[in-house]
Amino acid sequence: MPPNGSSSVAAVWAILRKECRSEWRTRYGLNAALLFAVATLTGVSFAVGRLPDRTDLLSALLWVVLLFASLASLAHAFVKEVEGHTLTLLRLVASPTAIALGKLLFNLLFLGVLEVVTVPLFLILMGGPPPRWGAFLLVLGLGSLALAATTTLVGAVVSQTRGRGALFAAVSLPLLMVVLAAGVSGLRAQWDGNPIGPDVRLLAAYAAAVLGASVLLYDHLWED
Amino acid sequence: MNAAAAPAAAVALSLEARGLAHLYTGRRGLQPVSFAVASPGAVAVTGVNGSGKSTLLRLMAGLLRPTAGASALTLGGVAVPPAARREVVGFASPELQFYDEFSALENLAFAAEARGLADPHGLARAALERVGLASRGGDRVTALSSGMKQRLRLAFALLHRPPLLLLDEPGSHLDDEGRALVDRVVDEERRSGLVVIATNEEREWRLAAERIELRGRGLGDPA
Repeated sequence: MPPNGSSSVAAVWAILRKECRSEWRTRYGLNAALLFAVATLTGVSFAVGRLPDRTDLLSALLWVVLLFASLASLAHAFVKEVEGHTLTLLRLVASPTAIALGKLLFNLLFLGVLEVVTVPLFLILMGGPPPRWGAFLLVLGLGSLALAATTTLVGAVVSQTRGRGALFAAVSLPLLMVVLAAGVSGLRAQWDGNPIGPDVRLLAAYAAAVLGASVLLYDHLWED
Repeated sequence: MNAAAAPAAAVALSLEARGLAHLYTGRRGLQPVSFAVASPGAVAVTGVNGSGKSTLLRLMAGLLRPTAGASALTLGGVAVPPAARREVVGFASPELQFYDEFSALENLAFAAEARGLADPHGLARAALERVGLASRGGDRVTALSSGMKQRLRLAFALLHRPPLLLLDEPGSHLDDEGRALVDRVVDEERRSGLVVIATNEEREWRLAAERIELRGRGLGDPA
């Protein structure tokens, strides 16, 4: 009696809604992430002013702000279930893959909301050149997908280990370097008028690889 | 609506364990155990603290992978693999915790929605009614007493009308009225399905016609 497709979709949707409602009520991650993003951008803006011709710095700064603002919340997606002892409840109502996909979609939504606030503020405060919106959003979207997929996978794997905080950082750092490098390079290329193809292909392939590995791994998590 | 959402009809269910054992890191959670039970009916699992009662229930629910042996669950003659057992199992255990930021009703409605059941709020209200928590359904879980949380666990287990009910210390934290509720639930559910009760309370194991006595030395044997 394998779980049928419709119940899996219902489980993913229910978990996504549960995550949104939980975040709305506790404001655990979003307030902290927005505070970090706004404070960092404001601080850098006061210190160095506008950087209209430094596309290298602008690209790196945007990704660094997004990464560090979101990382605490993204990493916490599974840890909060373990620490709140609610993982058993989740496992009794949904498959590990459905749980992870629900969490991944929430992490993506979380990043999207963070970017809706952070990116306009970034463009205003740092005075960067007008983006080529299609290319800019493509790099940002694929980078966010790769970031969310990586942190969700690592978070799920380390959630039941004792040193999960240190382990998350140690495991995710090398994995996220690829996302950061391609994301920074892609943003800089779109500002400089250079082709973004190689960076976009790398981000897409990386996201697809992590998502593929995730689907294969999730159903074997938490059995011991 | 998936298969488990249908009201518990008298579909034959059998549960078998062959040398089923589980080893946690550094200690044995469950010594090898073998048995075969079938619906309708109720079975008590007894044994000293640490003999593996809760571990056995987790193995049967598909929440743990055995380190030795195997268990087989069939429903209507069709094998239910461990990964799909959540569809046919109702599980209540002291380790089961709910989301503090949600009400009792919201927790159950979420569970019903995630299971793909139709009318999740209606089912959640019906389950709360059945365990006598209807008037507290809107309260957040943090506002519930230990006994009320135990009733909520029972409601969670009954929510999807499962043919196999796994109850780990179902009477813990309950007052006399709550214990009578457990008696009533077990009596109703064993008529159509199979109820497995892990307990050392005489009142609870007497609810079952059969008994599985775990022989482990207790307190988690060294591996």
